[in-house]
Amino acid sequence: MQPNEPEWVGDPPPNESAYSEDGVDLTLIRWFMGLTPAQRLSYLEEFVSAILEMRHVGTRL
Amino acid sequence: MSAHVFRPREILGVLAEHEVDFIIVGGVSATLQGAPITTFDLDLVHSRAPENLDRLLAALRDLDAFYRGQGDRRILPQLSHLASPGHQLLMTRAGPLDLLGTVGATGHERGYEELLPDTYVMEVIEGRRLRVLDLSMVIALKEEAGRDKDRAVLPVLRRTLEERQRGQGQAPPPAEGLEP
Repeated sequence: MQPNEPEWVGDPPPNESAYSEDGVDLTLIRWFMGLTPAQRLSYLEEFVSAILEMRHVGTRL
Repeated sequence: MSAHVFRPREILGVLAEHEVDFIIVGGVSATLQGAPITTFDLDLVHSRAPENLDRLLAALRDLDAFYRGQGDRRILPQLSHLASPGHQLLMTRAGPLDLLGTVGATGHERGYEELLPDTYVMEVIEGRRLRVLDLSMVIALKEEAGRDKDRAVLPVLRRTLEERQRGQGQAPPPAEGLEP
């Protein structure tokens, strides 16, 4: 297999199954629930810190 | 010094070192239970037992805590503030920290003792087992509050609870780090 070649080629499942009736992305919930509580907190901390850092250093062009 | 940081693990670690009794509530509680939402502060309901307030105050000193939004004035939390049922909106060296004496709508306020039956102990940071408000109660409190910011996040919280119940039964399993 070439380095950039995908492991599997095919059609993804229809997006309709990814959302609840009120539009919530269930794939995101399932992914996040697959992490441990400590991993979830770590993700939140790094995500928010990155946003705050970008807001701090960001300049409007 | 702390306007651009959010390190809830550091805050929780200091509180745990001081053996403070508290419950993690709000957005961080929901995140810990699998809800993919973002929050920019850490909400805790603390025990207002006198001996706990002494430990809490010592922890806040360690965290360089002061009241947010006071301009150039640096007002430090005092025991009398922490003993009240109100909300103490603080900034620390590790980011924002809201200490809530009680939560819930007017007339239905709940403090630490009242919330305990709806909590779980969870390994939130390595080696530290902390108490977290169950997601179903997080949802109930946000429904009760009924503010726009609470309503906005409710669909994700409800679907997360459904996913948990679908996959794991009514109660969060010990394998996830939760226990009654």
